[in-house]
Parts: sequence; structure tokens; C-alpha cells
Amino acid sequence: MSVVICLFAKNGFDRAGQGVAGAGRRLADELGAKLQAIIIGAADAAMIDAVKTVADGVTIAAQSELSDYQSELYLSAAAQICQSLAPKAVLLSNDTYSQEIAARLAHRLGGSAAGDVTSIALHDGNVRARRSVYGGKAEAVIELKRSPAVLWIRARAFDPAPARESVADVNQAALTLGDARTRIVERKSEAITEARLEDAQIIISGGRGLGGPEPFEDLKALAALVGAQVAASRAACDSGWCPPTWQVGQTGKKVAPQLYLAIAIHGASQHLAGMSDSKIVAAINIDKDAPIFKHCKFGIVEDYRKVVPLLKEKLAAAQA
Amino acid sequence: MNQATATREILWNISHTWVMYLLFVISLGIAAYGFYQRLVVWKKGLPLDRFDQPLKRIGKVLTHAAAQQRTVREKYAAVFHTLIYTGFIILTIATTVVALDYDFGFSIMQGAFYLYFQSFIVDVFGALVMVGVLIAAYRRLITKPRKLVYTDEAVWILAAIFAIALTGFLIEGWRIAATNDPWGAWSPFGYLVAKVSAATMSVDAMRLLHLITWWGHAVLVFGFIAVAPYTKMAHVVMAPLNIYTASLKPIGANLKFLDIDKAMETGDKLGINALSSFTWKDLADFDACTECGRCTSVCPANTVGKELSPRDIILDLQGLMHRSAKTVSEMADFNDPIINAVPSTSPEALWQCTTCAACVEACPVFIEQMPKIVDMRRFLVMEEANFPDTMADAVTSMETRGHPFKGTQATRIDWTDGLNVKTINDARDAEVILWVGCGGALIERNQKVSRSIAQLLQKANVNFAILGREEKCTGDPARRIGNEFLFEMLAKENTERLNKYGVKKIITSCPHCFNTFRNEYPQYGGNYEVFHHSEYLARLVNEGKLQPSDKLDKKITFHDPCYLGRHNDVYDAPRQLVQISAKRGLTEVAQSRNNSFCCGGGGGMSFVDEPKDKRVNQERARQLLDTGADIVAVGCPFCTTMLEDGINARKGDRDVKVMDVSELLWQAVQSKETS
Amino acid sequence: MNLIVCLKQILDPDIPGRDFKVDPISKEAVRGAANLVTNIFCENALETALQFKEKNGTGKITAICYAPESGEDTLRKALAMRADEGVQVLNDGLAHPDPLMVARTLAAAIRKIGTFDVVMVGRESGDWGVGQTGGLLAEELGVPYVGFVDHIETSGSGVKLKRQTDAGFEIVEASTPLVISITNDEHNVPRVPKTRDVMMSFRQSLTKWTLSDLGVSASESYYEVAELGIPVKESSCELVTGETLEERVSQLAEKILAVKRAL
Repeated sequence: MSVVICLFAKNGFDRAGQGVAGAGRRLADELGAKLQAIIIGAADAAMIDAVKTVADGVTIAAQSELSDYQSELYLSAAAQICQSLAPKAVLLSNDTYSQEIAARLAHRLGGSAAGDVTSIALHDGNVRARRSVYGGKAEAVIELKRSPAVLWIRARAFDPAPARESVADVNQAALTLGDARTRIVERKSEAITEARLEDAQIIISGGRGLGGPEPFEDLKALAALVGAQVAASRAACDSGWCPPTWQVGQTGKKVAPQLYLAIAIHGASQHLAGMSDSKIVAAINIDKDAPIFKHCKFGIVEDYRKVVPLLKEKLAAAQA
Repeated sequence: MNQATATREILWNISHTWVMYLLFVISLGIAAYGFYQRLVVWKKGLPLDRFDQPLKRIGKVLTHAAAQQRTVREKYAAVFHTLIYTGFIILTIATTVVALDYDFGFSIMQGAFYLYFQSFIVDVFGALVMVGVLIAAYRRLITKPRKLVYTDEAVWILAAIFAIALTGFLIEGWRIAATNDPWGAWSPFGYLVAKVSAATMSVDAMRLLHLITWWGHAVLVFGFIAVAPYTKMAHVVMAPLNIYTASLKPIGANLKFLDIDKAMETGDKLGINALSSFTWKDLADFDACTECGRCTSVCPANTVGKELSPRDIILDLQGLMHRSAKTVSEMADFNDPIINAVPSTSPEALWQCTTCAACVEACPVFIEQMPKIVDMRRFLVMEEANFPDTMADAVTSMETRGHPFKGTQATRIDWTDGLNVKTINDARDAEVILWVGCGGALIERNQKVSRSIAQLLQKANVNFAILGREEKCTGDPARRIGNEFLFEMLAKENTERLNKYGVKKIITSCPHCFNTFRNEYPQYGGNYEVFHHSEYLARLVNEGKLQPSDKLDKKITFHDPCYLGRHNDVYDAPRQLVQISAKRGLTEVAQSRNNSFCCGGGGGMSFVDEPKDKRVNQERARQLLDTGADIVAVGCPFCTTMLEDGINARKGDRDVKVMDVSELLWQAVQSKETS
Repeated sequence: MNLIVCLKQILDPDIPGRDFKVDPISKEAVRGAANLVTNIFCENALETALQFKEKNGTGKITAICYAPESGEDTLRKALAMRADEGVQVLNDGLAHPDPLMVARTLAAAIRKIGTFDVVMVGRESGDWGVGQTGGLLAEELGVPYVGFVDHIETSGSGVKLKRQTDAGFEIVEASTPLVISITNDEHNVPRVPKTRDVMMSFRQSLTKWTLSDLGVSASESYYEVAELGIPVKESSCELVTGETLEERVSQLAEKILAVKRAL
């Protein structure tokens, strides 16, 4: 019996990968099972070395068709390797690629899947996954009835696995992958220079109350002063005031920064669902009864138009 | 000289007078044909009964056509229009007197009547017509206000009137001088011409000039009569007609009832996008326009620089109507689209209307601009689903959640926390229902207003209840946005529920709900005694059930909500509440009562994001701040939020609050207890 | 092209938090006074399909809804938005359909409809937010799957898709038939139907199938909801104080800088 973690070489062994490994290790220990890591794509030495220290076994599918993500091929690779490892659970991160293949992987392995998982437990030998439902208004514990349990998890919210003394063996898998049927022909990043929102330590986020795209320039200036990333609510993204990749919420990014400063964000549960893992939430809002304040450590009740310019001055002064 | 013998020879110096009669008949014929043509066009419109209650209608004609009550609201027009208008009446009477005397053998043109009226008064009023024309010309040619329509026609009309009056004086003067009329001095301006002529020309020359000018004058007058119906001078006839057939209901009751099921059966379009879908009265409205531009000059959207111009809508549709009507018999293009056919009916412009009805209230000839805008919106919404996104959100929210505030996390009863307000289910014996409204229940700011009202009612021991979660939007925003289908659904649902509970009396905190209950629900079987909270509270004060004592020592102004004031003529009750709650009484803003300026939130506009530099609420905030007030009193949840936003943006360092009249009263009533 | 759009009917997700209750026994949200609405991502999917059809001038859009009788409202609205046909699969009062059961049912309905080129689903639902229907459906139908698509156009004999990723977007070329899941974008905000079309939708007939019509029966369980509860989250917000705005903003800045220094 094993617990499999499925990683993509392209991401390296990032915080998300570490979270997946941590969750996998704890589940494996509880089951008394081995932790098997799969790396799809040609991983570099640093990643392989890092994964070797946390997993009991590492399988790498590094053939050239897998150098970049192609859903059908990655799925096929993951399914083939998993079949040979007889897993009780397969853990993935909550990136779009993992989400795209997880349910299909479960189907191919005869298992069940659950996503956006915040904690994992065992109950009578079955895997149970806790996840937020109803747009963040409720929480459910899902018991997966088939095996393996394929879970994509809010990886950054899970503690990494401690490094072990022993070093795992590394196998290279040679697979027959078949026809891709779909083919990614172009990849575009909204802003390559910016760090990923999910990895940001400080996030400054704007909402419907900003009233238009222009105020986001002020938010960017603020962000630059404290080394933050700019994000937005669904309302702001849907209005076209900022790119959809900035969206935080139930249907956007799930972020977990040290500080999440919500500016002119009312705080609908759909939004809270995407940022409730933040360590500290702060808000600038004109409405003292805005739900966002119920989740804040600190805040100010005032029109953002008055606060932001002053705040910019203060932060600039502190920097100088 | 014996004044009793005073008279003058009629048609002195003139022969072949049959030509004059011929010309007169011809000009009347041409004029009549002009009106007939318009009539034929109006008859293409849909039927509508506007001939009921003739006494009321005659009264309206007397006050507004004869006595010009609305016309004189504007100072400039009050002067020049009154001069020309009264001059025309006097001169017409004078001409009639001549006709009675000469053609019909009534010897009335003599004696004191001849001297005082026919000579002196007529002479003076003739001169005043010329003064009036000069004032009008000064405005049209020199000051050029934006609201006017600048056409050659308008200048020609002024020139013609001036020429008619001037030639009248010339022929009068030459007659006086040439006949050495002993009563000449009774016509002071004619006499002046006579004196100048006598000193400068021979009697023969005067006779010749008189002859020529007399015929010239006649041709001018008859020409004017003949052409009038084809120009804006048609208003001489159109205005009284239009006023006679104007709606007798309050403005708030004037949106058309639309039978959607029937339209679906017949395949008729929902809403209006063709002249053929208007009623005859709508078409007559287009023709009645005098181009005075008042509607546009009071339009809040236009004032802040947006495209909407009710004047242009009326005039452009008039233009389309007559271009279509060139071939009266065919009228094929009466079915052509009108939305976007002219710039004034672009969807952008139509979506700027707050339905405040300032245009309707301003029109001296009682054209109903706003309902026509709603007619066209209905088409845009129901046939094309073409409306601003955020309005669409409000509509969708009304459909699924029964309120227009998408994404609100408040419930209908949050505001009652700790107040022990009963719902109708728990208080079936309640005498009166407090209809809180979506604004009063779901918008944080207005929840405080709802609390004030409820606490005042409790203090006065009024046995009231709310519907709580069973309350739904009355449908006002849906109706003004143009979604008649949704309005009908909500109206039926609400009236059914209220009737189920046997509700008789309703207090509304929102003037929009008030208007809907009062003017629109009767069509759906909902007949209730409806009060705006200001009316009900004023009554409680008058009955001694509420006793404000410690009055606020602040400068307070009041902003009339459109749907309370202009739409329903309730002006005094909210003022009374301010008066009794305030030490220093009420400071009126320049634009108040029926002349109030919209907060910008009506007609679904509070759900639309206006361009930063064109916000109606900021313009209204400016007007209110100009009064120097510390408190702006309001009576409508939309006004509260719109004005709070506008005032916060404009007040600078000043401390200015927006408070509902009920909050003022509650404060005054409470302070008695604490002191 | 034949497009099939799967629509889910859910409890109005905009219901105020205070009104949101769950039944710990049935482990479902209590409906209360709230309405049922079409899941927003499903509407995004339908909108995407409609735009695709409008752009190509041809094609047929069939909307499927697997729900109790109330699902008719969702299909009527789809017809009002101008989907061509509506197919309702009645769930026979089967509560809590698990994702695999949903996928098998939809697959059976789609096979019964006949040929298809693209099946579109919403990326996830506003109630349970499972996000698996698309993937499982693709497996059941044996066709490829692309997730998080916000735009579709034809390309050769197949389709070209734009889909959102964590970093931006990708263009994917795929052969048909396939299943895609749709996410929101400023261009696929669902249209508001014309009132005339809403009224017309009541005159159109819907195809109604039961599970036995489709030969589907409840099989082994995929998963079960073991617990459902509303998390209690108490936190008190310290509002910055001060005489002037300047003072208050200073405090705010100080608190932000304190976090930054601690990083």
C-alpha cells in the first residue's frame, strides 16, 4: 500500500509541492504506507534531490512528450504509474493542471476524487477530506468510498514534510502514452515578472467599491512600496478592471499570505473563501458593517479615496 | 368735443375690399388644411380617452392656456410671452370689433369704447407686442441660452410679428394725419407716426403709402395665419388643445398599462420602437412642442452634460412623424424604428433618464416626455435585452431574490434586531402595514431610517406590522427600467399577498413604493390607503401622539424626492416634520418642491455607474450645499444614499449630514425623554 | 456543430449568510425562502456556446439539466437565452447524487441525444463546488477534456480553445468530440434574455427523461458527505483610532509595516 504524490517537474519542488509532500507523508504514516512521489516531466537535479529526502520512492516520467504539460499525456502517465504503485490515496496540488486531471485520474484508477481539500483524515480505513462548500458558507467532510482517494489539496496551507535521513530510490518510467488528442499550442502569462499570487507574502486586493480600473494603479503603487502583489475580487475582474488571473475567491485563486489588505472589498463569502487562509486580514472600507471587517485583525472605516494617497505617503516615508 | 361721437371711418382709402375677404378665406383654408393634416397624422395613433371630465379639462385650459400659469414660471418668458400673447388677444378683439361694426352692422366702434379700448388700449398693447418681440429677439440673437432651438423659422416668426405690429402703426398714423382725425391723440403711438409724417410728407404721399402698407399689412396677417399651423406658431391652437387633453392624473400614474399576454398573442411589439405604437395623444404631444427648451434645461441628466434631451426627443420624433406623414395616405414608415433613428433616441440617452419627471412638470403645454422614454426603454429591455449591465444585475436580482440589490448580505429583518417589530403573521390584527422597502431593509444606511420610523410608530402606540421576509420589491425599478413583465409579476405577487392578509392601510418609507401602491397597484386589484411615512408621522404629530420638544439647532434644508413631490404632489408633510424638529426652521434650496432636482437615483439609475464628471447626485449635492445647510433632510432611501455619496464628494471640510425626516423627528422626540 | 450544455440548478448562492442553514441529518443546505437558480458557471457555459453559435452562424445548442421537476425553470431560462432544445433528466427524487452518478447520467442522456461535437459544463457549482463533472463525463464518454475554458472557436475540423491557467492563459487545439469546462471571463457574462423570449420559452416543449428511460441506476457509491456544518469564525477587528484621518492612516501604515518587518 502506498500514498502517491503527483508533482510536475515544471513547478520544481515549490511551496505547493512541499505541502503536498507534507500531507502525503502524514497520511502515509497514519496508514503505515510508503510515500511514493511521481514527477512528470524532466525534473532538474535540485528538485529530484529535494523530493528524494521526503519520499520513500520517486518515479520520474521524463520522456520528451512530457516536457510540457499536455493534459491527455500527463493523465495517461500519472494513471500508468499509479497503477503500478497500488495507492490508497493520490495527492495533487490545487493548480489548474492538477485540477484538470484529478477527477479523470480517479476514474481511470477506479477511485474517487475530492478537491480543494483543507485537511485529510482516516475514518474506518476510508479517507475523509474536509473542504469548504456553498461558496465558503459551510464546510463538509467527504468520505471517499472508492480507492484510491484522489485529492487535490490547498497545498500551501499544509505544512511541508520534514526531511528524512534515508534517501529514496529514483526510477525512470518508460511509458506508452498514445495520442494527445488535445494540444496546447500557445502559453501566455499575464505578468511573467510578477511572482505568483499564491506565493505572495503580502497581497493588496481591490474590489467592486473601487468603481473602475484606474484605482488599481494606486493599488499597484502601494504594493510596490511594501513588496506586495495586487489581487482583486470577482466583481472587479468581471468588470474588466483587471486581468482574471488576479481574481481571489471561491472561483479564483486561493491565497494564504501573511497579510491580506482588502481595499473596497465588501467581503462576500465567495471572496472570503479564497483568502480565509491568510494569516492577517486588514481592510479599508467605507462601510463599517462590511462583512470583511468580521475577518480582519485591523482596519479603517473610511473612503479608500482618502486613505490610499495618505497611506502611500506614510509607507513611502517609512521606506526612505 | 363730445366723446360720445368719437369714431373713425373704417376702410378709409381702401377699395376692392373683396380681395381682402378672399385672402382671408384663403388663409383660413390653408391654415385649416394644415391642422387637418396634423389631425390625420394623429389619428394614426392608438386610441386613448382624453375627453372625459370636461369641466376639469376646461379648468386646466383656463389656468394653463388662458392664464398661462406654467408659462410665466420662467421670468424671461413671463415678460415677453405675456406681452406678445396679451397683445395678440387685444388686437384680435380689436379686429373682431371692426368686423362686428363694419361687416355685421353692430355700431359698437364709437364713443368711449372707441376711445379707451379701440384706440388707446389697442395702441398700447400693439406697442407692447413690439417690445415683447424685441425682448425675445434679444434672447434669441444676443444672449442665446442653450435650451432654445435655433432655427430660421423662429427668427422669421419674430420678424413677421414685429412687421405686423409696425405696419399697423404706420397705416394708423397715416390715416390719422391724412384725415386730420380729431381723436388721433387717443392712439398715442399712431399719433406719433402721424405727427412725424405730417411734418415730412404730403397728404397724397401719405394716402399712397397708406394704401400700399394697408395691403401689405393684410397680406402679412393672412400669410401669418396661413403659415402658422406649419410652424411652431401652431402652438396657438395646439397648446390649448394639448392642455385640454392632458392627463388629469398625478404624474406618477402616467406610465401606460401594457397587456403583455395580449401583445404575445397579437405579435405586437412590447414597448415602443415605431410611431405607430404611440397613442394619438403622444403624436399630438410631438406637434404641441413650442421649442421652449424648458424640459431639457431642467433635465438632471442634461444638466450634468449627458446626451439625454427630452426636448430633442419630442422635436426629433415630430420631425420623423412629419417626414413619415408626407404621404398621408400611405404612412408606411410609421412602422420604421425610431430608437437610434435620430441622435436623441440613442439607447445611451434613453438609459440616462432618472424618470424624475422634471420635464413633464416644466412643459407649459403639458407634453409628457418621460413616459415616452419609458415606452422606448420597454422595447429595449423586452424586445432586445439591450440595457446597461449593472441594471441587468438589478433586474436579475429582482427576478430571483425579489430585491434589486445584488450581493447584499442583509436580510429583510436585520434592521429590526432588538426592536420587537412584529410580522403580519404574528400580528394579524395590525391596523397598518409598514412597507419597509428593499432600500429600507437591505441598505445599511437606510436600516437606521427604518428603525427611526418603527420606533416612532411604537412610541405613538400605532398597531403596525411588517411583512418581513414575505415583502418583495414593488417592482418600481423594474417598471422604470422598462421590464413591464417583471413589474407585472411582482405587482401580482405583492397584491395577492397583501389582499390575503386583508391589508387596508400601508405606510411606505420609500416614495417609489408609495407611488407604486398609490398609482399602479389599483390596476392589479390592490386598493389600499397609502401613506408616505412623512405623511403618517406628521399626522401623529398633529394628533399629539408624538411630541418633539428639544429641537435641533442646525441649518436644515429639504430635498424633495421626485416620487413624493412631483409625481404625487406631497410637499408639505415632510416640510412640517423638518419645521417641528428644527429650531431654525427650514432653509429652502433654490430647486425645491415641484422644481426639485433629482438625486440621480430614480428610474433604475442608482444601479448604473455614471461617468465621474457627469454625476447627477453631485450636481444636486452642490445645489444643496449652496444653501449653507448642516443637514440635508430627505424622505427616500435612494435619495439618502445618492445624496450622501454626492455630498461626501463635494462637502470638503464642512460637516454636512444627510438625514431622513423620520430620523430628525426621532431625534427631537427622544431628546425630550433624556432631558 | 452540435453543442451540448449541461446546466446545474442550485440554491441561490447569494442568499445572505444569516439565512443560510444546513440540515445536519440530511447533510444538505436548507432551502428556506431562497430561490433555485442556474449555477453561474453553467450560465457562462451557455453564454459561451451561444456566442460560438452566433459567430459561426450555424450549430445547435441542446441544454441538459439533471434535476428534480424544478429543473424546468433552469431549462426555460436556457431556452429564453436561445438554446435550441432543452432536455430534462429527472432525478427521481434521488438526493445527493454523487459526481460519478451525475456524470454517468449525463453521459447516458448525451448518448441518447445522439451525435455531439462539444459538451460544455461549468467549471464548478456554487453549492458543492465539486468541480469534477467535466472530467468524469469525458471519461464516461471516452473523449478528451479541457478545463477552465473561456473562449471557443472552430479550427480546421476541430476547435481552438482559450483556457485560463494560474499564470495566464493557453490556447489549446483539440479534435472533437470533447468535453470542456467553462470558467468566467468578462466576455461570457450571461446575457439577460429578452422578455419576449422568456415568454416564448414557456411555449416550447421540453424533452423529459427519467433515469430508467436512460437505463441508469444508482450504483456503487463514489463518495458520501460525512459531515456538513457552518464554521464558526470569531475574530475581532481593531479599527484604528485617532483624532484626524492623518493619525488613523499613520497607525494603519505602522501596522502594515510591522507585518512587513516580521517577514
